[in-house]
Amino acid sequence: MSDANYLELSDLTLAYGKTVAVDRLNLTIRRGELIALLGPSGCGKTTTMRAITGLLRPAGGRITLDGRDITYLPANKRQLGLVFQSYALFPHLNVWENVAFGLKLKKLSSSEIEKKVKAGLSMVGLDQFHTRKPAELSGGQQQRVALARSLVMEPKVLLLDEPLSNLDARLRLEMRTELQRVQRESGVTMVFVTHDQDEALALADRIVVMKDGVIEQLGTPEEVYNTPSSRFVADFVGFENIFALEQGKLKTDDGLKPLSGTASPEAAGLAWRPNAVSLGAGQFKGEVRGVAFAGGTREYLIQSPLGAIKAEMDASAPIFQAGSEIAFDLPPERAAILQRM
Amino acid sequence: MFQNRMEALALALPAALFAAFVFLVPVFILLSEGFRAEGAWTLAPYVDFFDSELNRTVFWRTLKLGAIVTAVSAVIGYATAWSIVTLPPTARGRMIGLVVMPLMISPVARTYAWIVILGRTGFVNQTLVGLGIADSPIRFLFTETAVFIGLLQLFLPLMILSLISALENMPKDAVPAARVLGANWLQVFFKVILPLTKEGLVIGGTLVFTGSLTAYITPAILGGSKVLMLETLLYQRVTVANDFASASIIAMILMVMSFSANLLLKRLATARNKR
Amino acid sequence: MSSRIFSYATLSVVLLFLLGPFVIIVAAALSAGETLAFPPQGLSLKWVIKVFEVESFRASFALSMFLAIFGTLAALVLGVPVAYAASRYKLPFGETIRTIVSAPIIVPGIIVGLALLRYLVLPLDVSVGLALFIAHTALILPYAVRVVSASLDNLRSDIEEAAVLLGSSRIATFFRIVLPNIQNGILAAFILGFVTSFNQVPVSLFLSGPGVRTLPIDMIWYMEITYDPSVAALAALLAFLSISIVFLAERFLGFSRYV
Repeated sequence: MSDANYLELSDLTLAYGKTVAVDRLNLTIRRGELIALLGPSGCGKTTTMRAITGLLRPAGGRITLDGRDITYLPANKRQLGLVFQSYALFPHLNVWENVAFGLKLKKLSSSEIEKKVKAGLSMVGLDQFHTRKPAELSGGQQQRVALARSLVMEPKVLLLDEPLSNLDARLRLEMRTELQRVQRESGVTMVFVTHDQDEALALADRIVVMKDGVIEQLGTPEEVYNTPSSRFVADFVGFENIFALEQGKLKTDDGLKPLSGTASPEAAGLAWRPNAVSLGAGQFKGEVRGVAFAGGTREYLIQSPLGAIKAEMDASAPIFQAGSEIAFDLPPERAAILQRM
Repeated sequence: MFQNRMEALALALPAALFAAFVFLVPVFILLSEGFRAEGAWTLAPYVDFFDSELNRTVFWRTLKLGAIVTAVSAVIGYATAWSIVTLPPTARGRMIGLVVMPLMISPVARTYAWIVILGRTGFVNQTLVGLGIADSPIRFLFTETAVFIGLLQLFLPLMILSLISALENMPKDAVPAARVLGANWLQVFFKVILPLTKEGLVIGGTLVFTGSLTAYITPAILGGSKVLMLETLLYQRVTVANDFASASIIAMILMVMSFSANLLLKRLATARNKR
Repeated sequence: MSSRIFSYATLSVVLLFLLGPFVIIVAAALSAGETLAFPPQGLSLKWVIKVFEVESFRASFALSMFLAIFGTLAALVLGVPVAYAASRYKLPFGETIRTIVSAPIIVPGIIVGLALLRYLVLPLDVSVGLALFIAHTALILPYAVRVVSASLDNLRSDIEEAAVLLGSSRIATFFRIVLPNIQNGILAAFILGFVTSFNQVPVSLFLSGPGVRTLPIDMIWYMEITYDPSVAALAALLAFLSISIVFLAERFLGFSRYV
């Protein structure tokens, strides 16, 4: 069937008992893409992932994979791969046996299995560890085994639950590069779940930002980072100064102030990153409440009729003292236009 | 994956049905027999039962011995448990092993030894007569004392183990803190150790008390028909007099005692967990 | 300092009290004399040998072994699914089922034996052997469930999910993944059940008769007839058997973790 809607979720509703975790979710995933489900805990991303794998039975809606309706298909027949957050390696089997587990179930010949397991372990860089048991491996090594175990099955879609969260900073970078390489070389469609925007931005072709069981925004990393569509997404990707618009104007203690420039009247709000605020001159006035040196930059907290403003200047720029009056501007061309608040 | 509750029920049902039909139903019927006389539901059989002096004696004796064994095992238990807990780890493990060991041996074997020790030509009497302390062998067997000793030996390990567990869970600094504040050992025990190890005492006490009430071999061998307890009385009524009514009544009394003790235990255990 | 003395004194007395009788039985069993006495008059293995020659001991030993092994197996076959259902699912009527399955521990054994005699053996003409088997299975069931539950609770369920996603069916997953990882727990349950069944007296009291006696009952019966040390020898042998089994279990399984 079509590569454009390789994995499709239609009006998918998921619930735990009476609590609805995901409400009529619609999502189409292309074959071969690397897509991230991003959101805080409780947003429904893990629940959605479990429904795709068949570990959770949907309360409503449909899941289609490669043209086939798999909504109620048993989990062991879906040909999907899942790398668990805890890796879930079989403690009583060694590395080789873990990776070969699924292949043995397919009743392949032992020479076939040997070939595939060798290739799988080689792909994740673990050629030497055949006979070790999971308990004898480091966290990073265990994850590679879990990855190999799923990859040798040549799954239609590979899902990963928080693949980088348990790793320290150095390993995280290594693993990230590893995942990208594996995806490039094997071409497998990858869906991963994370609460970390840096991971999502770095790895994904597209990002699905979720909150309370619905999709807040769906787009490329650049789109999500530069043009968030809602307050939640803006906040999530690091915009600090987020303001609602009333009749196309910003609300301040002294009444509504219009902004020069091209703010569209349908916009619900505007957002600026701290480094987009220009300090020193401008149409707004405020008082510097706090100054903090942050290595390469200096962070300012300013109290103004608009509300609290967080600004960031290069460390070499002149310092504005705490307690002093300051004028600042919010350039409309550097604002992100929010469709929803 | 574990959402299918029907699956769960199917897995659990065979065991539950087995236990219910093979076990609960016959027992229930047996117990209900005690409430019937001449085809009607009545408490008359119970009244008649307690009319008999023998029955009353046996009832009180069983309760009394149960209580005494529990009390004595608590005192000895605390002393022993404390001694074990203050040992270094390897010695402690070995001691616990030695305390547990008797539990794995058949009650028949454990009780039997007392015959050898307490009999007319037994070890104790031989020593006493040999040393001239007694003129003729003293009768130890078939007395309440013998049953008491037998029961104590049988259940003391349970109390010791419960108390060891409780003492190990006690904050390590509590006793030194009290000592520094000037408490003597008696005060330390009643004001610090006892309150903090209450639950262990209750668990151990329930196990010992229930065990003593429902023991058969020990009262049978060491008490015989001279010192009847509820269980040996039950056996006698059935095998000698075919008196199933009494059997049912005694069974009910034992059940109520055992059940209440267990309920108490559960209540206190869950109260502990809530903390 | 004085507390050290107190500790050692207490421990010595208590251990003497608890283990002394065992030592005495062994000594009495090795007696060369004709009657039960301690200290023994001379040492000899003749009573130990006699144990193996007494016909009824051999028969009752076989029966007790049979009940212990197969009763425990039956209890595990019934109990493992219950433990699994209670551990992995939200079992409907969970509390009730748990109570029913644990009930045999609470009800005094003698009542069970009597009830089964009256309402199963006599009216339904069930053989005494079968009734004993049923009674022992019911008796061990709570222990089996408790120990296996402890093992299951310690095993993560995500490895079962992983196996399913790799293509394994639920049943195959249980045998390939769950069982191998709880086998120590099952073994511990088996040992506990075996020892409990073997030493069990009250339940078997009413369900015994000539030719159908468990070993402990047979020992009591024999004791009422003769007063020779062969019972002591048997008791000593059994004690050694029980202790060795548990000792080995602790050594190789860390038995105490499960109980």
